[in-house]
Amino acid sequence: MSNDNTQRTVTVSIQRFDPDVDKKPHMQDYQVEMTKGMTILDALHEIKTHQDGSVTYRRSCRHGICGSCAMLINGRNTLACKTPLIDEVGHKNRVTLGPLPYLPIIKDMVVDRTTFWEQYLRVKPWLIPPDDIPEKEFRMSKEEVNALHDAESCIMCGACYSSCTVIGLNKHYVGPHALLKAFMRVMDPRDEAPGQRLADLDGADGVYRCHTVFNCIDACPKGLNPTQAIETLRKLAQKRKKFETTRRKRQQHLHEPIPAK
Amino acid sequence: MTNDVIIHDVVVVGAGLAGTWAAMTAAENGVKDVAILSKIHPLRSHSGAAQGGIAAVLNNVRPVAGTGPRGPLEQIPPGEDPVDSFDLHMFDTIKGSDWLGDQDAIEILVKDAPDVVVQYEHMGCVFSRTPDGRIAQRRFGGHSAPRANFSADRTGLVLLHTIHEQALYHNVKFYSEWYVMDLIIEDNIARGVVAINVLTGKIQMIRAKAVMFGTGGYGQAYKVTSNAYANTGDGVAMAYDAGAPLMDMEFVQFHPTGLYRHGFLMTEACRGEGGYLINKDGDRFMSKYAPEKMELAPRDLVSRSEQTEINEGRGVMEDGQGLFLDMRHLGREKIMERLPEVRDLAIAFAHVDAIDEPVPIQPTAHYSMGGIPTTADGEVLANAKGDLVTGFFAAGEVACVSVHGANRLGTNSLLEASVFGRRAGHAIADFVKGGAKLYPVTSDPVKRNHQQVQQLFDNDGPELVEDIVQELKTTMTNKAGIYRNEEDLKSALDTIHRLQQRFKNIRVMDKSSRFNTNLSMTLEAKHLLTFSEVIVQGALNRTESRGAHSRTDHPKRDDESWLKHTMAHKGEDGRPQLSYKDVTLYWDRFPPQERKY
Repeated sequence: MSNDNTQRTVTVSIQRFDPDVDKKPHMQDYQVEMTKGMTILDALHEIKTHQDGSVTYRRSCRHGICGSCAMLINGRNTLACKTPLIDEVGHKNRVTLGPLPYLPIIKDMVVDRTTFWEQYLRVKPWLIPPDDIPEKEFRMSKEEVNALHDAESCIMCGACYSSCTVIGLNKHYVGPHALLKAFMRVMDPRDEAPGQRLADLDGADGVYRCHTVFNCIDACPKGLNPTQAIETLRKLAQKRKKFETTRRKRQQHLHEPIPAK
Repeated sequence: MTNDVIIHDVVVVGAGLAGTWAAMTAAENGVKDVAILSKIHPLRSHSGAAQGGIAAVLNNVRPVAGTGPRGPLEQIPPGEDPVDSFDLHMFDTIKGSDWLGDQDAIEILVKDAPDVVVQYEHMGCVFSRTPDGRIAQRRFGGHSAPRANFSADRTGLVLLHTIHEQALYHNVKFYSEWYVMDLIIEDNIARGVVAINVLTGKIQMIRAKAVMFGTGGYGQAYKVTSNAYANTGDGVAMAYDAGAPLMDMEFVQFHPTGLYRHGFLMTEACRGEGGYLINKDGDRFMSKYAPEKMELAPRDLVSRSEQTEINEGRGVMEDGQGLFLDMRHLGREKIMERLPEVRDLAIAFAHVDAIDEPVPIQPTAHYSMGGIPTTADGEVLANAKGDLVTGFFAAGEVACVSVHGANRLGTNSLLEASVFGRRAGHAIADFVKGGAKLYPVTSDPVKRNHQQVQQLFDNDGPELVEDIVQELKTTMTNKAGIYRNEEDLKSALDTIHRLQQRFKNIRVMDKSSRFNTNLSMTLEAKHLLTFSEVIVQGALNRTESRGAHSRTDHPKRDDESWLKHTMAHKGEDGRPQLSYKDVTLYWDRFPPQERKY
């Protein structure tokens, strides 16, 4: 559009690295015509499809729900698809992109998430249900559901994980993403094994490894709060037996209507 | 033939709801060696983008008496009469399908629904709740009772995570970021697939006794689309190239509320919860087109109404190509509780807070009703007579059972993927345990695919893949979109043939082996060109209007000539050969009638 004052040429500076040919990462600049509403992901698409097909990144849904395109944008972890280009280029008309930190680079912005997914598996992300399964649904109160909302909104993009200074030093740490998942299962009245889960997380690489630096909160593109979930897990771990007893009592009523207030 | 062939009992392609349900169910029922290949990480699958809900007759809520069709809902007290029934869900789905859905399959869909939703709940899926703790339900377009079971506006996300966790629990093996590029069918028996390990670029054959496709839809053929980059119809294109038929491909659903310019969804639940559609004069224009159902008419009708408003100059935004979705009257509390994700999306991408302002929207290509024809157990049909392709299964959006016919109702797709994914899983378990053989592969598909990739690398022609893709998408949106006519469709077909020629002169910029997404995008573009031809040919032949297929030159439904499914095989000349298959109707219960809302 001719009267569109956003339209100008901007520089997208991308960290390039293909371990098959490069000794170490280097920066490469691309010029992009910024159009109205253009996101970082749109700019990458423009570069990849018209200028340099070897620029490599992950992407799929384009609207912040699949978790593919988390990367380092001007030094901050976030989703490329949800970040407007105009918000990032500033007066220098320039944005810098790179891979999520602390993870091995496969190629350009694509990082190796093997450890990330191993830690997710380690917390047994599936529900461990009680033996007594009702014919219809388990009954849960709105409050019980609300307590899980944050955790169930997590898209496993890894922005928190790769902003965590502890992860930077210690790959054995379970990490904020997996602890948020563990929190979801521990807090779910349908889960039969919160005590065992809390015991598993009680070790040196579990909930106490978090240094409450709060980087994960700043990084989360969904506005979630893994630190608070970790804090809660710590408190519950300290009174594990009592929590187990409470859960067992709650589970005796999982087939019954929630009483009216 | 290369000796490092991978072998599994079952190989599933695609890790969304349908594929993961099938794999998990097969594993749960005694098949030990089940693998899923997915070109993106399983949790990135597009099932996770679904927002509004999954349909099932649970009878947990009902409209408050005397408040009308848009009034508040309340939980049904124990012992009081249900408001919903299987027959009602069937009728709504059949009417929504404009009588092109197979009624025996629809009956299965509807009757399996409560069990599949309850199974999700038992597996740990977090649903929104009624005050007494049952699964909450909301209204949805074309459904005459509140039967959309939901988790706020991220239902697909929680369902996908739940089923993925269960597949992990049942030791399904995942090959994440393996791009399947070829389906091996010899003598009408599926024998495996060929895939690129994206990480290394190595091309490998994966043989199996049963091959299942849950690869999703084909909305990326359109310029304005709700679909992810990944939804390039790889499954339909590979099946078609391997000799399997495609059914009802001309039926493409346009969703009425894609975010203006971006195309991704503002869930139909925005209207289910009471949101309005308004034009530039501030009128709720649906009163003209569907006076009874208003904004909750089926998607095809609402999208056509919107397009008419736009075409007649009552659109909004600078180019007049938008309309407004107004949710202000719902209030902050309801929006925050029920629609938090879409509010966030409108703020992030349109700089509009739905609590204070109407959100600009436009129709967007959304769902592929057509696909690989299957039985209700996911077995792929070889032809209109009903013969099967041995060892080949499909479910979800890639498949066409057909339960959606000419137009799908909202919340029936998460349901379809789950119900028929699960049924396919049972059928696969029976098939493998019943003594299915690992058939040898007599040709050399790895070599063939190697040569294809090498040819693309060596080609180095002047054409950019993106230019071809963009011209295709523009053509499909403008000429094979919401409204169609003979002249446009013929012109679209010419364009596609021309683009197929131009594709022979493309250049792949990245020729490396490591994580080469430039190569996978090129192969995806080839798939778009393959199935788009089938969409347009089917639309050109079908000289009637039915559901999402709306011909301005043939505006009436014509049951005498066209109450039948289109089947397309790839002919010897490479062009689609069409044949037709009867629709299964219960003439005594649900005979065709005029479709009015």
